[in-house]
Amino acid sequence: MASQAQKRPAALQVILIAILVIWMIAAAFPFFWTLWGSFKVEGDFFSLADWTNVLTGEMTTRETGDAFTTEGYSGAWVQEEFWKAAWNSTLVCLFVVTISLTLGTLGGYALARSTYRYAFWFLLIALIFRAMPPITLVSGYLPVFFQWNIWGHLPTAIIVLVAINQPFTLWMLHSFFKNIPQDLDESAMVDGCTRFQAFRHVIIPVMWPGIITTGLFSFLLAYNDFAVTAMILDKENQTMVPKIASFLGTTQTKGNVMFAVAAVVSTTAPLFLLIMVFQRQIVSGLTAGAVKG
Amino acid sequence: MAEIQLRNVNKRWGSFIGVDNFNLTIADKEFLVLLGPSGCGKTTTMRMIAGLEDVTDGEIVIDGKVVNNLDPKDRDVAMVFQSYALYPNMNVYENIRFPLKVRGVDPATHDERVRRASAMVELDDFLHRKPAELSGGQRQRVALARAIVREPNVFLMDEPLSNLDAKLRVSTRAQIKNLSHELAVTTIYVTHDQIEAMTLADRVVVMEKGVVQQVGSPTEIYDRPANLFVASFIGNPAMNLIDGDLCDGVFETRNTRITGLNTGHGKTTLGFRAEDASLARDGEGQISAPIYTLELLGDATMISVRIGTSLVAVKADKSFRAEIGDLVSIHVTPEICHLFSTETGQRIDD
Repeated sequence: MASQAQKRPAALQVILIAILVIWMIAAAFPFFWTLWGSFKVEGDFFSLADWTNVLTGEMTTRETGDAFTTEGYSGAWVQEEFWKAAWNSTLVCLFVVTISLTLGTLGGYALARSTYRYAFWFLLIALIFRAMPPITLVSGYLPVFFQWNIWGHLPTAIIVLVAINQPFTLWMLHSFFKNIPQDLDESAMVDGCTRFQAFRHVIIPVMWPGIITTGLFSFLLAYNDFAVTAMILDKENQTMVPKIASFLGTTQTKGNVMFAVAAVVSTTAPLFLLIMVFQRQIVSGLTAGAVKG
Repeated sequence: MAEIQLRNVNKRWGSFIGVDNFNLTIADKEFLVLLGPSGCGKTTTMRMIAGLEDVTDGEIVIDGKVVNNLDPKDRDVAMVFQSYALYPNMNVYENIRFPLKVRGVDPATHDERVRRASAMVELDDFLHRKPAELSGGQRQRVALARAIVREPNVFLMDEPLSNLDAKLRVSTRAQIKNLSHELAVTTIYVTHDQIEAMTLADRVVVMEKGVVQQVGSPTEIYDRPANLFVASFIGNPAMNLIDGDLCDGVFETRNTRITGLNTGHGKTTLGFRAEDASLARDGEGQISAPIYTLELLGDATMISVRIGTSLVAVKADKSFRAEIGDLVSIHVTPEICHLFSTETGQRIDD
């Protein structure tokens, strides 16, 4: 029966779509809730009397004369100088990504092409370091940093973040390089390249998706890091995440929690943009098919 | 002009011997084929000549110059890889042009040279395509064009046809033969396919387990195999080999008695080719045995009988028909026989 055969998949289709929609709403809800709430006053967003206040904005209207307010944003960005933290985060991320990608591509390529046994052990040790909680490294570094008087500065945090990040970038790039057939390097070398020219002209262009993906992961590590930056940076040099935490830590003053909420939204927004811009490269199988015969 | 000399070339990885004491002089403009089963060291030999693999011992001389310590780029060789190794991010034109570009050849000549090379392999219409958009045969031709564009001293080809389907392989083989005739450049060609070796080579080097078994023209290799390995590797079907005893010019084993052989004594392996033997009338041949299988090939009928543990094939007329189990008699005259020592495997009837 044709009609029955068509009917069942249709029902299944509806169920599948329904599940997906429910899941998407459930997953996206906290973000939208935070975004919505960030334009309210604390009395609404954290209302004890009636949770629907956050929707109607009762207190917000009473306090500011409008159902929406940007008080949280101006408080965080201007009054508490969140822009400084944002700038610090930008610097930290830029340097962490640049340094760990540079070392990672060179090292990952070398390890992927090495015929020696130590390459394997090197990677294994890297994996162990990657598995260690970052805080164990920090506690070891701290006394030294104090003694050398370099505690609290951005470069120090950058160095520590690179150290934590490097094993991972090495691993990831190493496996990307492994997927590129060695014939390509060799062909380039016979065609007239030095080893480094082969790497630059032939391997790197094929590697872009891998480099972008790895770069994104190291960016996220630096961007989201709390343990290292909270311990190593002084108040002047704080990056965004510890700054948000410090907003939460001083709840004696009314409105600071709303600064944190506004800062959280400000911190999350660039990530959405970033993923959307690079999604094609992240998912891409640019090399698939072209490299293989 | 490029003569290549390999002097006592060895390649070892730890205790594993990849290539053992390889000595050979390859004449200028010669087409040399390295032939052998996988893992016999033929590709390693080629990679050592290209400079992609270090030589453990010995010297490689190209054009009178020892090149052991030269980088691949300084050896003036061009190589076609089994996987073609095209640069996936460049189109066909840029792929072919790449060697000129990295070697700093005068840019004014690039376009003309690329177009000439691509015309030679009939790629003119595909210059703007990426490798991913090409068929296997087209990719293979891009690899060829990239090798010839620079007009190097030496061509190295590492099983260039093994990724193509059977039909394409035949036409590309013909193309390579024609190209090499036209370009007249010293070529070393690695293959495990004996038909490629027979059709392309000026000289064939048969290798096994890192050791050179025989060097010679295709005819020599086919007509006078130096040992049992070469005899069993070359030819389709491979040479029939029968173990037996040789005494006073008479070779004997089960169902077999061949007289008139003029050398050898003791345990001997006798070989002959399927197309050299013929069917005899009942009881008049040197081998008489029941038919084991009978295969119709179209242009001939292949009859196999079992002698001891080996299968002996004979080519009969295409109209020949019989049943499995029927007794046949086979003519094996002394002239078509090759004699090998069973113990050492070496040819003894020279």
